[in-house]
Amino acid sequence: MEYVRTKDVPTRKPPMNESSLLGWLKINLFDTLFSSVLTVLVLTAIFFAVKALWIWGVSDGVWVAETRRECFKISLDGACWAGVFAWLDNIFYGRYPRDELWRVNLGGVLLVIWMLPLWLPRVRGKILVGLSVVALYPFLAGYLFSGGEKGIFMQVMIAAAIVGLAANIANAVTGYFNHGSLSNFIIRKIGKSEAHEKQQRNILLAILLFALAVAFIWQMSWTEENVTWTKWGGLFLTFVISGIGIAAALPGGIFLALGRRSKLPVVRVLSTAFIELFRSVPLITVLFMATTMFPLFVPESFQLNKLVQVIIAVCLFYACYLAETVRAGLQAIPKGQYEGAHTIGLGYWGTMGLIIMPQALKHMIPNIVGTFINLLKSTTLVSVIGLFDILNILRAISKDTPWIGLHKEPLVFGAILFFIICFAMSKYSRHLEAKLATGHRN
Amino acid sequence: MSNTKTKARKNANGQLASAASSEVIIDLNEVNKWYSEFHVLKNINLVVHEGERIVICGPSGSGKSTLIRCINHLEEHQDGSIVVDGITLDKNLKNIDHIRTEVGMVFQSFNLFPHLTILENLTLGPIWVRKLTKVDAEKRAMEYLERVRIPEQADKFPAQLSGGQQQRVAIARSLCMNPKIMLFDEPTSALDPEMIKEVLDVMIELANTGMTMIVVTHEMGFAKTIADRVIFMDEGVIVEENEPNAFFNNPQQERTKLFLSQIL
Ligand SMILES: Nc1ncnc2c1ncn2[C@@H]1O[C@H](COP(=O)(O)OP(=O)(O)O)[C@@H](O)[C@H]1O
Ligand SMILES: [Mg+2]
Repeated sequence: MEYVRTKDVPTRKPPMNESSLLGWLKINLFDTLFSSVLTVLVLTAIFFAVKALWIWGVSDGVWVAETRRECFKISLDGACWAGVFAWLDNIFYGRYPRDELWRVNLGGVLLVIWMLPLWLPRVRGKILVGLSVVALYPFLAGYLFSGGEKGIFMQVMIAAAIVGLAANIANAVTGYFNHGSLSNFIIRKIGKSEAHEKQQRNILLAILLFALAVAFIWQMSWTEENVTWTKWGGLFLTFVISGIGIAAALPGGIFLALGRRSKLPVVRVLSTAFIELFRSVPLITVLFMATTMFPLFVPESFQLNKLVQVIIAVCLFYACYLAETVRAGLQAIPKGQYEGAHTIGLGYWGTMGLIIMPQALKHMIPNIVGTFINLLKSTTLVSVIGLFDILNILRAISKDTPWIGLHKEPLVFGAILFFIICFAMSKYSRHLEAKLATGHRN
Repeated sequence: MSNTKTKARKNANGQLASAASSEVIIDLNEVNKWYSEFHVLKNINLVVHEGERIVICGPSGSGKSTLIRCINHLEEHQDGSIVVDGITLDKNLKNIDHIRTEVGMVFQSFNLFPHLTILENLTLGPIWVRKLTKVDAEKRAMEYLERVRIPEQADKFPAQLSGGQQQRVAIARSLCMNPKIMLFDEPTSALDPEMIKEVLDVMIELANTGMTMIVVTHEMGFAKTIADRVIFMDEGVIVEENEPNAFFNNPQQERTKLFLSQIL
């Protein structure tokens, strides 16, 4: 018997794996006869479907025409995209006055500018950036979009929003170019780095107040023509409703979830009842209730416009959905985390805000973003109660005399638009999840 | 307020303590606790003086964890009184939060915050509870990381550290709050054997600084080295308590003898 190897064992190739294209094909698509047949069938079906779509939409599609009749003249079975293009402004802005469209665009650009620092490396205070978007941007955008008279509260908030935006941009610049946060940068520039922390804080506070005063004085001379909400529409309106919905539903959901797990019986029972009530009713019912029942219960002087009612309904409805998502996330946090937080002296809010919630929300990012996507898509339901959101506008095209009967193309266009937006959101959630993952080795 | 009462009781109960001359810092008087029907702590009397180091041992399920968790009110006792640093533990949440800042605790399972870096784990309490500035808190955190000998890990996340390192971070996290008392609940039980020593070494160093410590552990070598008193618990009762030499060499109770014969 021989136990000692005298010859070297030749190195072998690894068994066929998924890393080569052929290997991948073999393993995933042509493993057995059955799966090979299935693969061929499915590929054939996909081929014909895509081909038909391509012919209809692209090779036979009509891109420039004045009327649907003209489209037919050019190509009888092709898609008439010209109708969609003719309505593009309506699709994006509804009946917003054409001379004022820059206000909507500026609002969008400001939002992007405000949020951009969240993605820039080295920028400090990202939590503050996020909070300022939610807390201040709506006032600036709200006035930009609707214009008209400003109450004193609105004036103050607009001034605060302007300062917030300016500080945010400056902070992004100093951070991006490696000068630390804006406050650090200011302190260093005026040579107070050695000063006591309290003194530094007072200096910054003084600068802040000064900036607020300047912004306040400036905004007094800023007036925009009033554009009533009935003129809002299209993708713009969809974004307004879902944007506010997303920004309000998450905090709402967090508080409802905490309420449902509260030790105080009254809070717990009320939160539970609220959540269960909204979750057991379809959104469309909630929307009808909000617009038809709500006015019956509140005094004449307190009547809200339909848009506000709808937004409140969407916020409450999705807050309840998110509450359950957040609650599931909370349940996954081990008891030891609460105890660890308690032993360093954190009270209820400190424990929840600093230790428990960040972890729970992180686990729940895919579900939360899923709910956001759901919310965005569901805002199309407001078309049923007569708001001119994107879906209603798309359907209105078929009633426009030059484009009468044009149903398919607008809806396909809407589908593509929604797909792009939702797909981007879902991709981003994956990215966020990966970026925030710290709980595992490597 | 209850300070006078505490001082009065000191002479009656404090004879065993080697640090009998110093202040009473923990005073448990006739403490009883139930988990629904289950009587887990029975008439517990325990007085701890400032600077004293106490080791609690006993079979699993005897109520050791419950006892020390009552001291920082992670568990609520139903009967008797617990006075910590002159403050009586009751339903008053302010008192509880205050006591928790004075009492550090180290768990068997570390309970570090996985979403924060080591440094953030350490500075969280000082910044949010002690209201230190970030700079000061980080300075203090680095000092304690030096002391537990892992300053180079400051920017890692807990999951990237070994068990022994995590437990040392947990100790440092508690110390960053500058507590008066440190509680340890089987700090080495979840560790691989080769990591136990690094944690015990840190604890011995801590003991030498004069920290008041209550340690639940089965590391009898450690108990012999640092303990002023060893307490043996069984079935929710303090069966025997003595200074370590007498406790290990000359146990009085049958149950203690049996227990020691099993673990030594
Ligand atoms: N939260 C709880 N609810 C019910 N019983 C508990 C709970 N925690 C501990 N116990 C029981 O109380 C007894 C004492 O537990 P513990 O203090 O953890 O013991 P030790 O730390 O000495 O092992 C055990 O029998 C355990 O099963
Ligand atoms: Mg235990």
